[in-house]
Amino acid sequence: MSTAVGRLVRAELALMTRDPLVLTFVFAFPIVTMLIIGGAFGTTPDRAFDGVNPAHWYVASYLTVVIAATGLVMLPVHLASYRERGVLRRFAAAGFPRWSFAIAQLIVGLVTTAVACALLLAVAAPVYGLPIVHDGWRVAVALPLGAIAFVSIGVLLGSLLPSARAAQAVGLLIFFPSFLLGAGGPPPRVMGSVVRQIAGPLPLTLLTNAVRAPWLGLGPATGSLIGVAVLAVAATVLAAYRTAL
Amino acid sequence: MSEPDVVSVRGLRKSYGARVVVDGLDLDVPAGEIVGLIGANGAGKTTTVECVQGLRRPDAGILRVLGYDPVTQAGQLRPLVGSQLQDSALPDRLRVAEAIDLFSTARARDGGELLEQFGLAARRRSVFSSLSGGERQRLFLILALLNGPRLVILDELTQGLDPAARRNVWAAVRQLNDEGTTVLLVTHEMDEAEALCGQVAVMRSGRVIDAGAPADLVERHASTATIRFSRPDPPVALLDLLRRLDGVREVERTGALITVRGHRRIIAYVGAALMRWEPVPADLSVHVPSLEDAVGGLLNGEHGEPVARTPVAMELTGGR
Repeated sequence: MSTAVGRLVRAELALMTRDPLVLTFVFAFPIVTMLIIGGAFGTTPDRAFDGVNPAHWYVASYLTVVIAATGLVMLPVHLASYRERGVLRRFAAAGFPRWSFAIAQLIVGLVTTAVACALLLAVAAPVYGLPIVHDGWRVAVALPLGAIAFVSIGVLLGSLLPSARAAQAVGLLIFFPSFLLGAGGPPPRVMGSVVRQIAGPLPLTLLTNAVRAPWLGLGPATGSLIGVAVLAVAATVLAAYRTAL
Repeated sequence: MSEPDVVSVRGLRKSYGARVVVDGLDLDVPAGEIVGLIGANGAGKTTTVECVQGLRRPDAGILRVLGYDPVTQAGQLRPLVGSQLQDSALPDRLRVAEAIDLFSTARARDGGELLEQFGLAARRRSVFSSLSGGERQRLFLILALLNGPRLVILDELTQGLDPAARRNVWAAVRQLNDEGTTVLLVTHEMDEAEALCGQVAVMRSGRVIDAGAPADLVERHASTATIRFSRPDPPVALLDLLRRLDGVREVERTGALITVRGHRRIIAYVGAALMRWEPVPADLSVHVPSLEDAVGGLLNGEHGEPVARTPVAMELTGGR
C-alpha cells in the first residue's frame, strides 16, 4: 500500500503492537472480565438473563466491550496525544491528503476491534462455548456499524479534548459507566427502574442490544440497530470534519 | 521575463483572539533564494510561515505560494513544500526507517542516502523517543527534503544542535539551494541567517520592518566599527591623524587605551596609519558590526521607523 492512507495504516498498525495501553485495555481487559463475570453467573439458563445461559449472554455482550474499549479508551488518548505533540500538523504539512488520517484511523480502529473480537471468541469458545447465532445478518450489520460509531466517537473525543491526559480521564469516565450499565454489568432485568432508564439510551447499551438480542434469539432489536446506525453516521461525519488535515 | 516569486504575501493579518500576531505583513521570496525571516520570539514568524503552508487560515491578505492559494489550494500546494516545523513531533514508538517510509511519496528521494548524509544511518531502527534533540532535528530535515520539494520552509532549523551538527545542516541547506530549491528560513539565530541567507526580512510585532541582504542591513543599521589599542603617551600627531581619517566619527583616549569609532572602512585606514607609527600595538582589537548588531538595533527601535528602503528591501516586501 503506497497511498497516503495505506502508509498511515501500515505505520499505525505497527505502532499499535508496541502500545501497552492498547494491548492491555483493548485485548486483555474484555477477555479477563468476561471470564470472571461469566464464571460468576455460571451456565444455567436464568430468567434474569431472559432465560439464556448467563455465560453465553456475556460472550455475546463482550464483543461490544472490545468495541467500546477501542473507541472510548484507546483512540481518544492516541488522537489527543498526536494533536498535543504536533504530529497531525506534521502530517498536514507533509501533504497527506485531507481525509487520509480520518480514513486511516477508521481502518485501524476496525482492524483492532476485529482482531480483539476474534481473540475474545477464541478464548470464550473452549471455556463457555459459543452461543448459536440466531439472526446472523443483523449481528453482521450491527457489529461493524457499532465499530464505526465507537471508532468515530473516539476520534471525535481525541480531536476535542485538550490533552492526552484529559482524553484518558474523560474516556475512562465514559467507558466504565457505559461498560457496567450497557454491556459487562448486571442484566437489565435485575437493575432498578431508574438505573434501567439511564442505561437504556446509552450508545453502548444500544449497540449491545443490537448485537446480543439477534444473536441469542431474543428479538430483532430494530430500534437499537437504527440508533447505532444514526450514531455511526453522525459520529463519522463529525470525526472526519474534525480530523481533516 | 524574470521568474515569478515562489512566495508572495500582501497584507497578511492573523489574530488569536484579541492578540494581533501578524499585522499587514508583505513578503516576497524570489525563486532560487534562501530568504531568512528573522526577529525576536513572538514577532509572528512562525504564524506567517504556517499561513504560507496553508496550516493556518489568515484573517486577511493575499497569499500565493508556487502559484497556489494556500487556503483554497492546500491540497495541491503541500506536496510541493517541504517543511521542518517548530514544536512538532512524530509518534514516540515510530522507528526512523518507518518514518522515512511513512513520509515517502512516489517521487521521494533515496531515504537511505539522506540518512547517510545526515549521519542517521546507524539509527534506522531506533524509535523517535530515543533520539537526541539534534537527531530529531536532522530527521525532520530529512523528512522535509525527502520528496524533492520546490520550496523548503525551515523553522528554527538548528535549535538544539551542537556546533558541528549545525555546520553539517548548514552545508546541506546550501547544497539544497545550489540544486535550485528555494528556502524560507525562520530563525532568531543571526549567525545562521548571516551564514545562509542571501536576503533577510526582519519582523517586529507582526510586520516586516526592514529587509535586504545581510550586508546591506548591517550597513544601514550597524555600520560603526570599533578599534581599540593601547599606546602609552600617544603622540598628539597620531591622535590628530586618526581623527582626520575618512569615516572616523570619534577618537577617545582613556589613559593608555585609545578607542576609534567610525564606518567599517576605518579598519583599513587605521591599520595603515598604525603601520606608520611603529611599534604596531600588540593588543589591537577590532569589533566589526554583524547582522546581530544591526537587527538588535532595529528590534530595539534604535533606528526608528519607517526605515528607508533600498530596491532589494522593496522587492522583498512587495515594493511597499
